[in-house]
Amino acid sequence: MTALARREYRTVVVGAGILGLFTAYRLARAGAGPILVVDRGFLSAGASGRNGGGVRQQWETAATIRLARESVAAYRGFGREFGVNLWFRQSGYLFLAESEAELARLRTVHEVVVREGLPSEVVGPGRIAKLVDGIAPGAAVGGTYLASDGVLYPFPAIWGVYEAARALGVEVALGVTATGVERRDGRVSGVGTTAGAVATPHVVNAAGGWSGDVSRAAGLAVPNVATRHEILATEPLKPFLDPMVVRVSDGLYVSQTMRGELVGGLTMPHPTGTAAGVPTSVAFLARMARALATLVPRLAALGVLRAWSGFYDDTPDGFPVIGEDPRLPGFHHANGFGGHGFMLAPSASRRVAASVLGERSDLDPALFSPARFSRPTPGPAERLQLG
Amino acid sequence: MPEPRPVRFRYDGREAIARPGETLLGALARRELPLLQRSIRYHRPRAPFCGIGHCTGCLLRVNGRPNVRACRYVPHDGDVALSENAWPSVRFDLQGAFDGLFPRGIDTLRGFRRPAVATRLYQRVVRRLAGYGRAPDPDAARSLEGPALRREVDVLVIGGGASGRAAAEHAARAGRRTLLLDRALTAEPVPGAEVVAATTVAVLPPPSAVGFTALAVTEPAAPLTVTARSVVAAPGTYDGALLFGGNDRPGVVSADAALQLSAPDRPAPFRRAIVFGGGARAQEVVERLDGAVVAIVAPGAIPPELVAAASERGIPLYPRSLIRTTNGRRRLRSVELAARGGGRRFALAADTLVLAHRRLPHGQLFFQAGARMVWRGGPGAYFPEIDPHGATTVPGLYAVGPAAGVVRERSAESGRRAVAALLGAPTPGPGLPLEPAEGPHELEGYYRELLRGPRPGRWVACPCEDVLLEEIADAHRRGYRGLEVVKRYSGVGTGLCQGRYCLPDTILLLALLEGRSPPEVGYVTQRPPVVPVPIAALARAAVPPEAPP
Repeated sequence: MTALARREYRTVVVGAGILGLFTAYRLARAGAGPILVVDRGFLSAGASGRNGGGVRQQWETAATIRLARESVAAYRGFGREFGVNLWFRQSGYLFLAESEAELARLRTVHEVVVREGLPSEVVGPGRIAKLVDGIAPGAAVGGTYLASDGVLYPFPAIWGVYEAARALGVEVALGVTATGVERRDGRVSGVGTTAGAVATPHVVNAAGGWSGDVSRAAGLAVPNVATRHEILATEPLKPFLDPMVVRVSDGLYVSQTMRGELVGGLTMPHPTGTAAGVPTSVAFLARMARALATLVPRLAALGVLRAWSGFYDDTPDGFPVIGEDPRLPGFHHANGFGGHGFMLAPSASRRVAASVLGERSDLDPALFSPARFSRPTPGPAERLQLG
Repeated sequence: MPEPRPVRFRYDGREAIARPGETLLGALARRELPLLQRSIRYHRPRAPFCGIGHCTGCLLRVNGRPNVRACRYVPHDGDVALSENAWPSVRFDLQGAFDGLFPRGIDTLRGFRRPAVATRLYQRVVRRLAGYGRAPDPDAARSLEGPALRREVDVLVIGGGASGRAAAEHAARAGRRTLLLDRALTAEPVPGAEVVAATTVAVLPPPSAVGFTALAVTEPAAPLTVTARSVVAAPGTYDGALLFGGNDRPGVVSADAALQLSAPDRPAPFRRAIVFGGGARAQEVVERLDGAVVAIVAPGAIPPELVAAASERGIPLYPRSLIRTTNGRRRLRSVELAARGGGRRFALAADTLVLAHRRLPHGQLFFQAGARMVWRGGPGAYFPEIDPHGATTVPGLYAVGPAAGVVRERSAESGRRAVAALLGAPTPGPGLPLEPAEGPHELEGYYRELLRGPRPGRWVACPCEDVLLEEIADAHRRGYRGLEVVKRYSGVGTGLCQGRYCLPDTILLLALLEGRSPPEVGYVTQRPPVVPVPIAALARAAVPPEAPP
């Protein structure tokens, strides 16, 4: 049993994924220790260690684009700041449309992205064929492409932030589950864990797929739903595919990692809840194989090496939940990223840290605040939940 | 019937001939073990190691398809096979200079960061260090077409060894619809049961009353989807690897490979072989290789039967010895040994080192299906937890034979007992004797002693990904604990063999480094498929209807 170093912390972060670690790192940099990060599993056990490494700035709403653009800048400078390589390869995200209707939808996104000052392009079949070697003729009527989007290798980001946070005195307790949140005088006063209870005025819920459980254990009703998404990797190949390719019709996404593997998944009926664990299904393997073989027929001769799955933490409107919960002062959300937490972590964690430090946020509360779910009418949504 | 005639194919531009039914590797390994590959990072010369379709030592590009395992592929007339990942040739690969240029390894995690303007150039270089082959040719999938198969049975038996065959016979005799899947390229019939030569790549536990779903693939790529009420898994065992300096040098082979390549009807590609191991498996190798064995080396004592087999043949014995390093340029020329307890060091000339010291269970299917696994200290491996009838913790899934830890002599009996239990007529009395659970594995002490000494040469902890022992030690130094994290940190066990050959010893090494017992170091989630499956096969696989939740 892991023993905790103290009985009292300034902040307890639940979840040692990329968001929790980044938040702890930023708080420690601001001198706001002592900080404890607890995680029920091992380092990288959750979605931070299970994602495809995509980082994109093409979104439907300006608010998400701004967060994403800031994250891209942070990941570009990651090696200098943290001393490890992410091999962040900015060779673009290519969204593919198979019909004019899909293309019209991508154009709308393209216009928002361009308005935000990013050089997104609408591309035709000729350009697509150059970007994706061996793509099936007629596989797309067109698409959009943003060259500064890219893919990175997720694990080193975890190691880099973990080591930096620990060097600043952050305590990371692995294999320790947060069991509940204690309150006194209407605000957070402590956190119960399997390694004992600790006193703290602030708790950050960065528990990914388990964030709904953590909020509910604190007595807060939240609409977060964990959905299980599957993913696979092929045998590694020499450099073959540069951009991340995303198909609008079925949500197929695939990119080639620095390790040479093609990694990707697609949208299908995703089971909800964390209780059944993270198995792989024959249905996914077959659908994904068909999707890859229709996109780039020569890939049919390539082997699938392994498949796995992990949890998206979905919200009804597609925006993450960032900031202090007005119902329980001291309880800060850093969740609901719907499978895009890794790519938004560097920028989102700044806002979470600001929330803990009591600083003013530049985020639109109508989009990101946990209070938005108690509004009588639904607000705006971020629907480009592909890839 | 006309006499089957030899098959003519080309390998790296030369004409080659295979006997009917012979594998590509068999045809290329007539006189000596062929160099077919270069390692992924350091471009060290590589030859086949495992002989059973898992390691990267025999990957060839065949008819435009990369990563074909020569040890599992039976060639056809006109096939074109090429070595990849080498330039200008696999024998003289200029990138082999990387091995000497980076004596401390290539650190892609923390190196290559300065100057920042070179980032893109570094990226291009490092990206090229990944992957064994180029993308498939446009028409490479044509040979992979074939029907998709679907079966619904009462009892699915996986593995055609003694325990699996006994289980299938027993189930068929009881009138159950029985299917036996075996990975061998040809399968012997079992009365009353259907037998298909196919590799089972996934067994997924029942979400409902529908039962198990298993996915298998026949050579080269016909998918077979099976739904079964019960599964009796008898996947058997394989020969493990060993860590020492130059452990990846061509000529170091597993006992599986040595036995495969010295089948009675063919000349063996070994002249001077050292056999490492002090048990029944070592004896099997000695008897098969016979005159080619020049020494028997064992980590501990050598039992009387093996002593007798050696003295009959005049083979010298080296009990209680460490293998420190191998020497040779492209191939093994000699093996450096040291007597345990700080004894003398000496070298023996050899062209082959056969590792026959450790049989490991094929546990992947059990892990995948969600069965609880237990560490057995004697054999030093994880086995499925079973009751006296072989039932695992997943209802309806039985483990039998050596992969369940049952002693080899009682294999067939374990298969029959499992079927009796699933038929509702369990055999009374206690279960069959299992391999001992208690006590440390003998390699723990072996490695403790070995790693105290100097470590000359490359110690390749994970040959598939060229991960060095030093990188595992580095992960430990930086505070990473447990196999799951060290695997992700260092890349050990993430290659094509999915950790079969590196993780068992990594567990022992981490146990030593962390000062914990091997089960505390943990294990890694086994991810389907059990072996790589062509996308063409998965794309055609029948999907059983989703069970209602």
